[in-house]
Amino acid sequence: MSTASTDKTLAHLADFHDEAPLVKGNLTFHDITEIVSSHTEKKTPFAWYGAFSLALAGLMLLVGMIAYLFWNGTGVWGLNNPVGWGYAIVNFVFWVGIGHAGTLISAILFLFRQQWRTAINRSAEAMTIFAVICALVFPTIHVGRVWAIYWTLPLPNQMNMWPQFKSPLLWDVFAVSTYFTVSLVFWYIGLVPDLASMRDRAKGKLRKLVLGVASMGWTGANRHWRNYEKAYLLLAALATPLVLSVHSVVSFDFAVSIVPGWHTTIFPPYFVAGAIFSGFAMVVTLLVIARKIYGVENIITVDHLEKMNIIILLTGTMVGFAYITEFFIAWYSGVQYEQYAFVNRMFGPYAWAYWTMMSCNLFFPQFFWFKKLRRNITFMFIISIFVNIGMWFERFVITVTSLHRDYLPSSWDYYTPTAVDVLTFVGTFGLFFTLFLLFLRFMPMVAVAEVKGIMPEADPHFYDHEGDGHHAEHAVEPSTQQ
Amino acid sequence: MIELPVLDDSPELADQPRNRFWRSISHLEGSSEFKQMNAGEFLPGASDGPVTEGTGGATRRQFIQLMGASMAMAGLTACRKPVETIVPYVRQPEDRVEGVPVRYATSMPFRGVLHPLLVESFDGRPTKVEGNPDHPDSHGATHLFEQASILSLYDPDRLGSVRNGGTASDWASFRTFVSSLPTSSRVLVIAEPTSSMTMAVVRRQMGQRFDSVRWVDYHGAVGNNAAQGVRAAYGRSARVSHDLSAAKVILSLDADLFASTGPDPVTASAGFAAGRDPESMGGMNRLYVVESGYSITGGMADHRLRMKSSEIASFAAALAAELGAWSGDTGVHGSHAWIAELAADLRSAGLNALVVAGDNQPAGVHALVAAINDQLGAVGTTVTYLDTNESAADAAADLDAAVADMAAGRVDVVLTLGSNPVYDHPAFAAAYASVEHRIHLSSYLDETAVEATWVVPEAHYLEAWSDGTSRSGIPGVVQPLIAPLYADAHSDIEMVGLFATGTDMPGYEMVRATWRSQLSGSFENAWRKVVHDGFAAGDGFSAARMSLSASGVRAAMEGVDLSAGADVEVVITPDAKLYDGRFANNAWLQELPDPTTKVVWDNVAQMNPATAEKLGLGAKLNAGKYFADVVRLDAAGHSVDLPVWIQPGMADGSIHVTLGYGRQIVSERPERNTSFFDLDDYTDVYGKGAISTGVGVNTAVLAVSGPIAPVSASKASEGYLVASTQDHGAIDAPHVGEEVKSRGLFRMATVEEYRANPDFVKGGEPAPLKEDWEDYPTLWEANHPKDSQEIMSSNYHSNQWGMVIDLNTCTGCNACVVACQAENNIQVVGKDEVARGREMHWLRLDRYFVSGDGSSYEDPQMVIQPMPCQHCENAPCEQVCPVAATVHSPDGTNQMIYNRCIGTRYCANNCPYKVRRFNFFNWTKTLPDTLHMASNPNVTVRSRGVMEKCSFCIQRIRGANKVANVENRELKDGEVVTACQQVCPANAITFGNLSDPDSAVSRRRQSDRRYELLAELNVKPRVSYLGRVRNPNPNLA
Repeated sequence: MSTASTDKTLAHLADFHDEAPLVKGNLTFHDITEIVSSHTEKKTPFAWYGAFSLALAGLMLLVGMIAYLFWNGTGVWGLNNPVGWGYAIVNFVFWVGIGHAGTLISAILFLFRQQWRTAINRSAEAMTIFAVICALVFPTIHVGRVWAIYWTLPLPNQMNMWPQFKSPLLWDVFAVSTYFTVSLVFWYIGLVPDLASMRDRAKGKLRKLVLGVASMGWTGANRHWRNYEKAYLLLAALATPLVLSVHSVVSFDFAVSIVPGWHTTIFPPYFVAGAIFSGFAMVVTLLVIARKIYGVENIITVDHLEKMNIIILLTGTMVGFAYITEFFIAWYSGVQYEQYAFVNRMFGPYAWAYWTMMSCNLFFPQFFWFKKLRRNITFMFIISIFVNIGMWFERFVITVTSLHRDYLPSSWDYYTPTAVDVLTFVGTFGLFFTLFLLFLRFMPMVAVAEVKGIMPEADPHFYDHEGDGHHAEHAVEPSTQQ
Repeated sequence: MIELPVLDDSPELADQPRNRFWRSISHLEGSSEFKQMNAGEFLPGASDGPVTEGTGGATRRQFIQLMGASMAMAGLTACRKPVETIVPYVRQPEDRVEGVPVRYATSMPFRGVLHPLLVESFDGRPTKVEGNPDHPDSHGATHLFEQASILSLYDPDRLGSVRNGGTASDWASFRTFVSSLPTSSRVLVIAEPTSSMTMAVVRRQMGQRFDSVRWVDYHGAVGNNAAQGVRAAYGRSARVSHDLSAAKVILSLDADLFASTGPDPVTASAGFAAGRDPESMGGMNRLYVVESGYSITGGMADHRLRMKSSEIASFAAALAAELGAWSGDTGVHGSHAWIAELAADLRSAGLNALVVAGDNQPAGVHALVAAINDQLGAVGTTVTYLDTNESAADAAADLDAAVADMAAGRVDVVLTLGSNPVYDHPAFAAAYASVEHRIHLSSYLDETAVEATWVVPEAHYLEAWSDGTSRSGIPGVVQPLIAPLYADAHSDIEMVGLFATGTDMPGYEMVRATWRSQLSGSFENAWRKVVHDGFAAGDGFSAARMSLSASGVRAAMEGVDLSAGADVEVVITPDAKLYDGRFANNAWLQELPDPTTKVVWDNVAQMNPATAEKLGLGAKLNAGKYFADVVRLDAAGHSVDLPVWIQPGMADGSIHVTLGYGRQIVSERPERNTSFFDLDDYTDVYGKGAISTGVGVNTAVLAVSGPIAPVSASKASEGYLVASTQDHGAIDAPHVGEEVKSRGLFRMATVEEYRANPDFVKGGEPAPLKEDWEDYPTLWEANHPKDSQEIMSSNYHSNQWGMVIDLNTCTGCNACVVACQAENNIQVVGKDEVARGREMHWLRLDRYFVSGDGSSYEDPQMVIQPMPCQHCENAPCEQVCPVAATVHSPDGTNQMIYNRCIGTRYCANNCPYKVRRFNFFNWTKTLPDTLHMASNPNVTVRSRGVMEKCSFCIQRIRGANKVANVENRELKDGEVVTACQQVCPANAITFGNLSDPDSAVSRRRQSDRRYELLAELNVKPRVSYLGRVRNPNPNLA
C-alpha cells in the first residue's frame, strides 16, 4: 500500500469527520461487540458481588428508613413549622436533576448530530432512569398520609373530586411521570439492536429465551433499521421538550409560591441548566470508574470526557450567572423580603451551605478552562464529585434557607436533618447503585450499534478510493486507522 | 317536583294481578289498621303534637315551638338534678337533645374568690369554660386558668381513691377513722382561704366538735402582702379593688396587672382597655410601670422604668414624699428623675389617678401606695376598699407558728385543704412527720400526700357543690356539671363536714342549707334562680369606711429597706401559667408559651444581657435551639439550679424566677416503653408518669424570707436545652427588631403623632408599594371561584366573616391561646417537639422587642401581636394544594378539609403568616382515655399527617347558622363569637360579618388605625389590625 493513498484516505477521513476518530485503539466492529457484550456473558467477577452487596445494603437501609417513616410519621424527619420541606424535596430535585443528562445526551445531542454521544448515551440513559426512580421515591414518601397519595392522580371517583390543577405539585406528578415513561421507552428502543446481538451470541437456553423476547424479533433487516431509526428520531423529538419541561416544572414548585427566595422567574432556565450540569457531572463520575473497570477506555475516550467537561464548564457558569442574577434582581426589585432572603443566604445561619454551593458550582468548574485539567482523569473525577455536592447544596440552599426565614420574624427557625433524613438519602444511593450495577452486569453498557454507526467503516464511502462512490478492492484496512 | 310512586303508597294494588311487594300481612290485606298506621310518617304518638282544644290538634311545627319554649323554660333550672348516681338515659329527658350542648352557670373558686363561669356540657360532659356574661365581675371573659381548668378535670393522674399509709383504701374507712377521732384531739387545719359561706358554717361546727381546732390561712409562697399592707395603713382589713376604667393616670409599682397572676386581671384588662381608645373624646389613659422584670403590663406601658424590685420601695417612698403622703426617709431613689414629673401627672389626674403595687412588694409598700392613693383622692373612684369581714393575718407568721407547734408535738391531727405545704414550704416536711394523723385532701398524689397518713382525692370544682363570693362580693354557687369521675373524690366542704359531724355530709345538702338562710321568699324558686344564674342578685361587698393611719404606714415601712438593693436580687413570683404549682399537671398550661419569654415546659432564671454578662452567664444558640447556662442561685440558705434566659429590658442585677415547677406528682399509670422502631413512647406526653414531674425546678425554697431576696449567682453547668415557641432561629434582637419595623408588621405611634397624622399606619406600608393594594387584581380574578355559581347561590354567602384585632388593647395575656386550644382540640406535643419547632397552637402571640424611637437595645419596648389564620381572600395556601384540601367557603373563610389532606405541607410553606400547623406524629393515639373526654365533639380530632390551622371557629359559625336557619332568619351581628374573642378580657378581638355595614366588625374596620399585615402580597387577609397608639407624657421624654 502506497503512502500517498494512505495520506489521501486520512485526509478524506478528516474531511468526513472533521475531527479525530471517536473510537480509538484500532478496533473493528467485532472488537466493539466483543468488548461490550463479553461483560454480560463472562462469569460474574468477585468484585461485582462486593460492590453489589454494598449497594444492596444501601437499598435495604432505604427500605428500613422508609418503613420507620411510615410506621411513625413525618416527625422522624427534621422538619419543623417554617421549614415544611427539607431533605426529601432537596433529594427529589437533586435526583431529578441527575436524571437530566441521559435524555439530553440521547435526544438533544442526537438531534444536533453530536456523534460523540454514542459512546456514553446508553449508560447515561440508564443513569437517568435510575435517578428518576430515586427521585420518585421522595415525593411519594414525603407526604404526611402516604396511603392517600393516589389522590394526586386524576382518578374518577364517586365524589367527583379532582386534583387541584393549579398546584405545581400536580404538574410535577405529570411532568416527572411523563419524563420517566418517555425516557424508559427511549432507552429500551435504543437497546433492541444490541439485545439482538447479545441474543445471537447467547449460549444458555434461558438467556436465549429472555434476550429473544426482549429483542422483539430483531434481525437487523433493512426494514427493521428503517423503522428503528424513525422511531428513534421521533422519540428523540418527543424527549427533547421534556428535558426542558421537566425541570422547569420542578422549578415551578418554588417559583409559583410566594416565598421570598422561591418566587423567581429565572428558576426554569436556571434549574434546567443546573440539572444538565449535575447530570453531566454524575455521568463523568460514573464513567470514569466504569470505563476503567470494564476496559472500554477506547470506546469512552478522554475526548468524550473532555466534551462533557466542557458542558460542565458551560452549564456551571450559567448556573453561577443565575445565582448572581438572582442577587441583582433581589436588589433591583426593591422588595425587602427578597433582599433579606438573599442577604440571609449569603450571611445568615446557612451561609456555610451557600458558600459550599457557590464554590462547588461556580468556582471549581472554572478549572476546566485549562485543557490539561479537563483531560486529567483524576482531576475531573474530583471536580465532578464537587459538582454533585454543590448541586445538592444548591437545592438545599433554595429549599431550606428560603423557608427558614420568611415574612414574619416570629416564626423564624432553623432546620436540622435527623439521622433518618441522612440515611434515607444515603439509601437512595443504594437503590441507584443496585440498579446501575445490575445494568452493568446484564445490559450492554455502550450502545454498540450506534458506536459502530459513527465509525469510519460505517460510512458507505469509506472504502471508496477513487471518489466514484464505489467499493474498491484495495480498501484501507481498518487496522491502518489512527 | 315529580312524585314518584312509593312502594307502600297503594295497597289497592292488591287487586291487580301483578307482582307486588308487601311488608306484612296486614299490609297485604290492606287492613284499616295498617292504613291508619301508614298515614303518618311515624308511628302514632311518635311525632304528633298534643291535641289541643279549638284547633283540633297542633302541627309538628307548633309542637317544636312548644318544645323549644319548654326547653328554654327548663333552662331556668338548668342544674344537674341532685341525684347521687349517674345512669344512662333509658328515655330521653325533655330538656336534652343528644349532641346539642347545654350551658350551665357555675363558678371556679380560685385565690379565695369565685370566678363566675358558664360551662358548656355535651351529653353530661363539660368541655368548655366561658365567663358568665351576666355576672358583673366577669364581663363574659375569663383568664387562662379558668380556661385550662377543664383539662385538670380529666387529668389522668388525678388521685382516684382514698389512701391510707401509702396503700389504697376507701371513703368508708376514712369516715370510720374520722368519726372515731377523739374530741380531745388538737386539730390543725391548713387551708387556702375560701369565700365559701358553707365552709364558714361547717368550720364553726367543726370547732364545736373538737376541743381545739386551729385554722391557718395558707397562701403558699405567694403570700398576702397586699392585704397586710392595707391592714397596716388603715388599721383594718379590706379587699382592694381597682377600677382602671376610671383611671386617667396609672402607676404600677412591680404589679403585673394584666397577667394571670394579677389580683383581678380580667377586670383590670377590661378597665384599662376602656380607657385606651385614642379616638375617644376623653383622651387616653396613661400607664407608668416601674418594674424589675419585663411583664406584659410593662409591655403596655407608656413609660416604663426598669428598677430592681428591692429598690421600688424607695421609689414609692420618694413619690409619696413628693405627693405629701410620706414624711420619712426616701432612700436611694429619693431624687429620681421621674419623681417630680410622675407626681405632677398623678396629681393632675387627682381622683382619676391610680397607683398599684405588686404582690411581691413588701406590706410597707402597699401601705405607702394606700397612702398615696388616699392623698390623691383616688379612694372611691379608682380604688375601692371592700368590706369582706375578713381579717388579713400575717400568713407567713401563722404558718411558721403552726409548723413550730407541729414540731413540738402540740398537734394531733393536721388537715391540709387545697394546699401543698410540703412542696412550697421547705421546713414543713420535718415538722409534719411528727404529727400522728396527717390528712391531706388533694387532687394528686403530690408531695404532701406522700408524707400524709390519709390522702383523700379532692373533687374538681365541676364535680362538687360549693358556694362563695366573687371578688366584688356577689354570692354565687359552684354547681357541678358531672358526678365525680372517681367515687372517693370529695370537696373541701364535704371533708370539713365529715370532721364536723363524723358522718357523710353531702355537699348539695350543705350548700342548700346555707342558702336557705340567705334567700328570701320561696326558697325553691329563689334557689333555682341562683343556680341557674350562677349568682344571687345584689351589689356585693359594700365599700368599707377607711381612715388612713399615718403611724400605721410608718410602722409598716419600718422593716422596709430603702437603701440600694443587693448587687443581684432574685424575685420569686407565681408563674403566669402554673401559678403556685397547682396547675403544673395541666398540659395545656405547661405548653402555653410564657407571655413574655415564650418559654414552655421549664422555669428559667430571667435576667437581662448586662446582668448575664456580669455574672459570666449566657446561652448558646445552636441549630435553632437555645442551650442555656445553668445558674446556681443561693438565697436564704437554699440553692436552686435554673437555666438562664436572657430577657432584654429587665433591670440590671435583677433575676426573675417563677414558682410552680419541679413538682413530684406520683402517677399510678405505667410508663410507656415501646420497641426501638416505635416512637409512641416519645410522642406520648403522658407516657412518663405525671407530666409535671421532672419539669423545671422548685423555687419556693428561695422565697422563705420573702419574694425578693438578695442572691448570689454562679454558673453551675451549661448546655441546658430550653424550649420556646419563638426565637428558635433568631436571638439577635436588634436585627429582628429592624426587620419587624421595616416590614411594617407592628405599626404604632404616639397619640400626638396619631392626632397629627391619623393615617400613620399607611406610612408603615413597606417601601415599594405605597399604592392602595386593594386595587390590585388577583391572579385568578377572571375566573375566581368566589364568583362561581356554587358560592354565589350558597346560603352562607350573605355572611362574609372577618376579624379586627386591636393592638392597642391586647395585652398578650395568653387567655385566647388557651381558649383556642380548649375549643379546637389542639394537642400538646411536649418540650422536645416544641424545641424542634412543632408546637400546634392555632393562635400564637408574636412578641417583638422594639428599640429605637427613644428606646434602646438595653431598654426596648415590647409589643405583642396575636396571629390567627388571616383567612386571605386570595389565599396562597389554596392555590398550591394538589388535592384541594384547603379551599374557600362561601362565607369567606379558608377551610381545611382534614380528611382530604395528604400532608404535602406545601400550604404551610406558602403561608406568609406561618399559621399552619402540621401533625408530624399521631398525637391522639396515645392520649389517655380521660383526656378524650375534654375534646369538643364539634371539632374533628386531627390525625397524623394532616395540616391544621385556625378555622375562625367554624363549628360555632355553623352552629349559629343552624339556629338561624331553623328560625328562618339571617344571622344577627354578635351571634357568632369565636373562642378567642369570647375569652378576651380586653375586648381586643372583634369578629363578624363584613358584608353587613352595620356590624361591629365593619365599623371597627372603618378605623383609620386599621391595616392588614403583609397586605402588599395581595393575599387580601380577612384579619385586620388596629395600630397601636401610645400616650407618653410629653414632659418625660
